[in-house]
Amino acid sequence: MLILLWNIFPVAASREADIIDEAFLILTILAIPIMALVVVIMGYSVLKFRRSEGDFEDAEYVTTHKTWVHSWLIWTTALCIAVIIFPGWIGLVDIRATQNDVADVTVDVTGQQWVWTYEYPDLDVSIISELVLPVDSLVRFNITARPDDVLHSFWIPAFRMKIDAVPGLITKMDVTTTEIGEFNHDQNFRVQCAELCGLNHAIMFTRVRVVEKDEFDAWVAEHSAS
Amino acid sequence: MLTALWPLIRAIIWSAIGGAIGYGFASGLVTFTDPPQNLEVQISLAYVGALLGWLFGIGVWKYWGREWFGLKPDHNEIKGASRFFSFSIDHKVIGVQYLVTMVILFLLAGALAMLLRVELANGSQNLMNAEQYNTAMSLHGIIMIAVAVATIMGGFSNFVLPLMIGADDVAFPRLNALSYWIVPPVAVLLILTPFFGGFDTGWTAYPPLSTAANGPDGTLLFAFAFLTFGLSSILGGMNFLVTIIAKRAPGMTWGRLPIFVWSVFAAAIISLTATQWVAYGLIMIILERTTGMMFFAPTAIDAAGVGLSGGSSILFEHVFWFYSHPAVYIMILPAFGLELEIISHFTRKPVFAYKWVVRAFFAIVFLSFLVWAHHLFTSGMGQNLHGPFMLVTELISIPTGIVFLAALGTMWRGRMWLRTPMLFALAMVFNFSIGGLTGIFLADVATDINLQDTYFVVAHFHYTIVGGEIFAIMAALYYWYPKITGRMYNETLGRIHWAGMFLFFNMTFLTMFIPGVEGMNRRVAVYPETFNDINFVVSIFAFLMGLSMIPFAYNMANSWIRGDVAGDNPWHASTLEWQTTSPPPEENFEHEPEVFEGPYNYGRKRAQASQRPARTPAPAEGD
Ligand code: HEM
Ligand SMILES: [Cu+2]
Ligand SMILES: [Cu+2]
Repeated sequence: MLILLWNIFPVAASREADIIDEAFLILTILAIPIMALVVVIMGYSVLKFRRSEGDFEDAEYVTTHKTWVHSWLIWTTALCIAVIIFPGWIGLVDIRATQNDVADVTVDVTGQQWVWTYEYPDLDVSIISELVLPVDSLVRFNITARPDDVLHSFWIPAFRMKIDAVPGLITKMDVTTTEIGEFNHDQNFRVQCAELCGLNHAIMFTRVRVVEKDEFDAWVAEHSAS
Repeated sequence: MLTALWPLIRAIIWSAIGGAIGYGFASGLVTFTDPPQNLEVQISLAYVGALLGWLFGIGVWKYWGREWFGLKPDHNEIKGASRFFSFSIDHKVIGVQYLVTMVILFLLAGALAMLLRVELANGSQNLMNAEQYNTAMSLHGIIMIAVAVATIMGGFSNFVLPLMIGADDVAFPRLNALSYWIVPPVAVLLILTPFFGGFDTGWTAYPPLSTAANGPDGTLLFAFAFLTFGLSSILGGMNFLVTIIAKRAPGMTWGRLPIFVWSVFAAAIISLTATQWVAYGLIMIILERTTGMMFFAPTAIDAAGVGLSGGSSILFEHVFWFYSHPAVYIMILPAFGLELEIISHFTRKPVFAYKWVVRAFFAIVFLSFLVWAHHLFTSGMGQNLHGPFMLVTELISIPTGIVFLAALGTMWRGRMWLRTPMLFALAMVFNFSIGGLTGIFLADVATDINLQDTYFVVAHFHYTIVGGEIFAIMAALYYWYPKITGRMYNETLGRIHWAGMFLFFNMTFLTMFIPGVEGMNRRVAVYPETFNDINFVVSIFAFLMGLSMIPFAYNMANSWIRGDVAGDNPWHASTLEWQTTSPPPEENFEHEPEVFEGPYNYGRKRAQASQRPARTPAPAEGD
């Protein structure tokens, strides 16, 4: 069952993706027994406590049961708090762990109907056709949308991370790449707009390529304006 | 036939007149300003004029408005079929008007869902272009939202709630009629949007997309439709609150209210107090579109080429969800009420932990106002807000858990009768468990960063709204069908409908979680080809689910004419609405009922054998 679950995740190509998949898995593992409990109680009741057509005799007059109600409350509250702490709060802190670190690569992303523009301010590269990143690096995206444009959302499924591109606002997203890959082999290596932005929203995506560091340097040399 | 439709025809004529006046007035008005590039000012005022004309013509003036000017209003004594097409103030007629309207809209928006699934059967463009898909998707969404908000709070609350508390009518009958007659213009506006360029923003209508100067006028129609619908919701909420407070029969103490009445009470608080928020947002969108006021768009260039600086689109997201999150509890709270009500009567056992359930309802109302920003985890709002909103959102699972405890506890050692209403109520418990549990994934910030705006969200909210609420509505439709129509539906067809809908609903939407997890985003007509196979499967299941609506529609329509006469209380249920005739007389009860016991005293040893848990006092009619 859990093996099956592992397999439904697409490639996880970033540190954040591992955290997010782990959180997903833990929530699933907790959800299954709760679901099972409901199904078992309900299934048992349906099979066991039946009456036939035309039989209108009442069941026992039971209105509540203190112990049951109290222990149910205690259990659900405990579970709820546990989930808020882990994976909730801890996951949140984990994902943000890199925010004070110096980024290896910075990319300024601008969304407009219906293209993404990527600028590497330190490297003097500006490109729209694809997003190329070095592996094992902390990448910091500064994201915005053109001031006279609409909302977009910058999402890379292989990294599991997304944040909106808002006109007039710069949003930030950190990703630590961990796997090499490219769109041509795996469609999850794509920047996909995830906020409805009009006519061509569905096809507002760019290919992503995560490459070895020296390959990245070569690519930069080739595309750098200076 | 034509005479029955006369009030409607009169209303249509008056709305045409009102529309023309509004249009003319607006045309004059725009000569005082820079010539606008489009007709949106004219469309707006024409709509306002048409709406007023419509209400005037349908009878607001004749039966009500005259009074405000010291004139004598006509007495509303329409009888027969034409009651349903007129400004009737009988809550049972209004309930039927709501229910029939909503079932029709549900089938219509369901047909749109079928079109969406045809388009989505594979990743390339097949049936619709991107524009048509966006319009079909947005229409499906907003019509279904309207159905989800108004079917219980307008339909069942109207028909059965006054009966359940032993009242002869609601507190404000004419306001009640008004809140129904505001709804048809909403439907008309929405159906017209494709002829005004469509509307392509989804029902969330985030600016700047919804305020874009080059966007279709259909979005304006949508904003007016939603705004008008909100007005109806507010009036309805107020009416039911006052009805429950003031119109209970003697002896119907708060502790003896049927659980459904409590759930409507809770939901009505939300309708009355939250709807204004989305209305403000929509009014700002309308003004931004028609007059260029800059509430949301951060910058723009005016006609003279001057740059203007404006507001923030995140502001709208907050305002929107400040209503629309509580609104999901307008949908689900009364559905919880229906679920528990039906499970109790069909197991002949009191609702388990009744008092805790009432407390849980109010805890949910309170918390529902404090969680809206969980829809904004990826919006770019301050990240210091993520933790608190995750916390409060997950706390809602505690009172929701109580409702599950009550459902399971009522079933336990009950004496279950598996008729169609009960089957739907049980299915609702099952479906909503999945809906609720998957909600936790979306409340958890880490997982939501990835899942937000994917098919996981689409599957999740269909589990809650369709699996939860629509299944409860189906249960209630079958449950009260004999009371409303006086006739029994066909049980075999009901079970076929249940089996098909339950099976294929789960197949469709359980499968839909997979593309979500695998990285397919929502609101798209085309998608990467890796998702082809799974979407094809989803589409097939969705069509089968669509087919399961055929026995439903046939059963509802056919049994109304040909069904067996049902009798007053076919379920031998204990609440007050079953202690009168089916359908009930105009004044509801022959004598004002007096209540001696709680609503769920199944199995309780009574002093007198003849005494029923809730009853109309002597002279009792038969039984
Ligand atoms: C057979 C039944 C149904 C099917 C197959 C279906 C399918 C769909 C599809 C394909 C979408 C578009 C998703 C997207 O592109 O993002 C959608 C959206 C939606 N549906 Fe349904 N649906 C069904 C029934 C319902 C019902 C009964 C309700 C509510 C009562 C509902 C409420 C919504 C809402 C609110 C949206 C969101 C629209 C938006 O994103 O603005 N659906 N549905
Ligand atoms: Cu987009
Ligand atoms: Cu919400």
